Amino acid sequence: MSRDDPSTERDVSSVSTVGNAEFTASPPNGLVTAADSATVSQSVISRWNPRELALTVLFLAPAVVGLGAFVIFPLFQAVYLATMGSDILGNPTRFVGFQHFEELFTPDFGAVLARTAGFTLMVVVAGVVLPMALAVPLSQRLPGMRVFRTLFTLPFAYSASAASVVWLLMLNPAMSPVNWLLQLVGVTAPGWTTDSGWALVTVAGVTVWMVSGFNLLVLAAGLAGLDEQVLEAARIDGASGIRHFTGIVLPMISPSLFFVIVTTTLTALQSLGQPQVMTDGGPNGATSTLVYSIFNQAFHNNNSNYGLASAQGLVLLIVGVLLAAVQFGVIERRVHYR
Amino acid sequence: MTYQGRIQVRTKLGLVAVAVAAATAVTACSSAASSGGSGSGGDLSAPAASALDGKGETDITFWHAMTGTNGETLKKLTDQFNAANLGKIKVTLAFKNNYDDTLSAYKNSLKGGELPDLLQVYDVGTQFMIDSKATVPAQSFIDVDSYDVSGIQPNIAGYYSVGGKLNSMPFNTSMPLLYINKDAFTRAGLDPNKPPTTLDEIKADAEKLTVKDASGNTTQYGFGASLYGWFLEQWTAVANAAYCNPDNGRNGRATAANFATDNNVKLLTWWKSMVDQGLALKLDSDTKNGDSAFVAGKDAITLESTGSLGDFTKAGFQVGTGFYPKINASDTGGPIIGGASLWIVGKGKDDAHKRASWEFVKFLETKDSQATWHTSTGYFPVSKAALDTPVDKAWVASKPQFQTAITQLQSTKLTTATQGCLFGVMPQVRKAAENAMQAAVLQGKDPKQALTDAANSLSQPIKDYNDSVK
Amino acid sequence: MSRLNRPGKVTSTFTYVWLVVAAVVLLFPILLTVLGGFLPSIDLLRQPPNLLGHYTVDSYIGALQQTVVPLLPAFGNSLFVGLVIMLAHLVTSCLAAYALVFLRTPLRTPLFWLFMATIMVPYEAIVVPNALFIRSLGIGDSRFALVLPFLANGFGVFLLRQAFRQFPGELRDAATIDGCGHVRFLFTILLPGCRPAIAALAVWSFLQGWNMYFWPLIISSTNNSLNTLQTAVFALRSNDSADPGLLLAGITITLLPTLLLVLFGQRWLVRGFTAGAVK
Repeated sequence: MSRDDPSTERDVSSVSTVGNAEFTASPPNGLVTAADSATVSQSVISRWNPRELALTVLFLAPAVVGLGAFVIFPLFQAVYLATMGSDILGNPTRFVGFQHFEELFTPDFGAVLARTAGFTLMVVVAGVVLPMALAVPLSQRLPGMRVFRTLFTLPFAYSASAASVVWLLMLNPAMSPVNWLLQLVGVTAPGWTTDSGWALVTVAGVTVWMVSGFNLLVLAAGLAGLDEQVLEAARIDGASGIRHFTGIVLPMISPSLFFVIVTTTLTALQSLGQPQVMTDGGPNGATSTLVYSIFNQAFHNNNSNYGLASAQGLVLLIVGVLLAAVQFGVIERRVHYR
Repeated sequence: MTYQGRIQVRTKLGLVAVAVAAATAVTACSSAASSGGSGSGGDLSAPAASALDGKGETDITFWHAMTGTNGETLKKLTDQFNAANLGKIKVTLAFKNNYDDTLSAYKNSLKGGELPDLLQVYDVGTQFMIDSKATVPAQSFIDVDSYDVSGIQPNIAGYYSVGGKLNSMPFNTSMPLLYINKDAFTRAGLDPNKPPTTLDEIKADAEKLTVKDASGNTTQYGFGASLYGWFLEQWTAVANAAYCNPDNGRNGRATAANFATDNNVKLLTWWKSMVDQGLALKLDSDTKNGDSAFVAGKDAITLESTGSLGDFTKAGFQVGTGFYPKINASDTGGPIIGGASLWIVGKGKDDAHKRASWEFVKFLETKDSQATWHTSTGYFPVSKAALDTPVDKAWVASKPQFQTAITQLQSTKLTTATQGCLFGVMPQVRKAAENAMQAAVLQGKDPKQALTDAANSLSQPIKDYNDSVK
Repeated sequence: MSRLNRPGKVTSTFTYVWLVVAAVVLLFPILLTVLGGFLPSIDLLRQPPNLLGHYTVDSYIGALQQTVVPLLPAFGNSLFVGLVIMLAHLVTSCLAAYALVFLRTPLRTPLFWLFMATIMVPYEAIVVPNALFIRSLGIGDSRFALVLPFLANGFGVFLLRQAFRQFPGELRDAATIDGCGHVRFLFTILLPGCRPAIAALAVWSFLQGWNMYFWPLIISSTNNSLNTLQTAVFALRSNDSADPGLLLAGITITLLPTLLLVLFGQRWLVRGFTAGAVK
């Protein structure tokens, strides 16, 4: 059972500042009689202490207004906007009914979703496996591991745009050290951003590079926090190598692993910088992920298709919710909390 | 919580939910629809010079997309103007990344944001700027001042005139050119002063120019150009055909893009075969990548605007220029004038600001400014007199590459085809053309199919645009 | 220490080899970023880039002096966004979490689930209505527009609620008996006692603001003075693609704050991101 189940929460508010001790008593058992309702109505009246109520409203207002106005409210607006088409200046003034929603069921948009899925999968798998493959050797007691760990975390300092521009230079046919290295071993480099087969892989690769630093940090911290005694006991029992890793170590760091999977999925889903800066959605849409498509339809290439972009935004919301449901409903159950 | 308490809470919840839903429904509609803000004040008339009297310093913002050397030259000219008009007019430059983003930003700010006073819009944005009805036509200022426009190159004036009137003032006018790496030509045994003039000639030269090293990797490709939509428009004009129907949009609104012509299919087939045979470097539509490949010596022949000449001459080799290549040797047309023009914004601007923008535009059009502009960037001078200034003459004499575009311009007849297409959604049309080029050259799709698909993808946006302008 | 804990020679060698190879591959871009700014572009526009060329600080000076994409104002904007969002998250989350835990809030449970639900809404899904709304308010060109939609955050409420619930009830009771009111309790006892969680939220919120790309991209498109460091990098690339030396120098400058954070603040980072989520 998740620790966030409100039914387990401790009722701290029973200690009030007003000092009315009678409502610390639990509700009466058995039938509710007239005498009881007298107590009940008295507690109802005293419960709504004006000063405390004012404080409650005051304390909740900022968060409620902030989230209400800029998260909840826009959801309704998005539904409304999705039914509107834009005039030449981009003002959403023409009612077009379900046209935009119909546009969501075209093969073009299906391709966008497929690309997003492929991109996210590549980023999450590589973005977890690679740092893990570094964190495990780094957890050994060898000299210099700390230096390596600090170095490997450096990509975390790069923003999406910085990483994209630097990798554009790294892969630019005019000056690419990567292509040069490949030539040395006799391999012709593909068109990293021009081959429609490679473009999405390249953008995913850059994203993996971006998240590798942070993921390594979290996984390394998780590995460092493992209970030595348990590990040693397992070793004495004969577990070794792969078995030891998958059977003992992985479950023990599953909270860190789960955290890394969730954050990397979100990063992948929300990526705009990489496809925009490296390939601008190309070639011919090969790196047009869902977020890029929203950006493109609403704000780029002289488009101002706010209606379609809003509809696509709602799809993004559904995808996000579904992923959260899968992650927290299915994967989190396997997480072994201490 | 007691039973009564629970009912109270549930009712409260229900009431709250209804109230919230109602409030959001009402405000959702109003705030989303009211995003079409109306600018306060400022009509589209042209004030006389007296508008600046007694106003102190008028600050104007100029949105532009000039990069690298071109950006530096623009800054130089702006500083000159600001110094000469100290206390009266101050121009602040705002770099907007590229032409597309400049126009997108303008579109966004029309909805109640800060509009710039002056902005630089590319050739294909002309129709949209006219339809947006927020600018002061240059013609109005010309009439108020009795400005002499006979000094403007006729082809250039002709391109930017719609119905005989100049809506904007041409500033950085360009034509596409063929660029060659003269050193590479010499090394390959080709005459560096005879650049190829047709696609077949490019192929023949590229075969000699492609250099491989010992392990079979190509160190220098014969040809390499970005899959830039502008080039497709150029080749259509060179073949003297219309890019959009009817009549390139010059005699009434255009309704469809004309992509899938035989010439275009021949072009894309040629390009794809060049790539497949290893004679051409694979590039995307981002001209920055194509430019750096040429400057780094990765390819020996490229296509680019004459406005890139300034940056190219900084390369480590001799750069030669030639006319834009023809698809067939028998093509009778010529390239379209490209580049951008300056639009003075009227919506929401007072007379002083509108006038200040015009003063800056006039400064940029003087023969001296144009001579500086031409010799530093390679864009050719809008003003005929600029070519006769000593600065310009000396420069062109020592660097004949700066003359090629001018000669090409002067030998091109102004027809509907060479005037270029006027389309309200031209930026999207150009993007669709790029998609077709990428599909054919990079993804191996059938050229005719790719071009047809691209043209069809535009039918809805074109229809939406034309419907909303009625 | 048991013999079993120290890896053998073979494992060590493999480890070092693997780590060195990985370091070369993963860290070369960083080397290029830092060194590239010190090299002239002629040396960079070759294959491979000549990293042993003539070192100079010209590109760094050029990057700082150029007026096309001013970096110092961009730094100011990024700092503004990071700090404002950090403070706003702290304030709104503290207050809301307090109300959920220590005050008798009506509709406490539905409200909590509402906050949790907002965590699942990526801001890109609602970026269009938010952008139109901000513009319709007429503040689309002010600095405030860079942060307005992000002042409250469900994750912050969740994080602090966790921390507050774990706060010892005895301390709360003791404070009440002493006659301590809600506000005094919050500021003098609770917040100091939950410093790790507060610090974690502060770090997380600051980085969220600092790293934003999509939103500043659209806000700064109509007003260059609102460029943050992240959008400035893109503008720099647009302007100086022919000058990789200048470009890399500019990028290195924009990365200095986060590079320093990674080099010297690793503990803070881990705490900031894993607090409350990983135990």
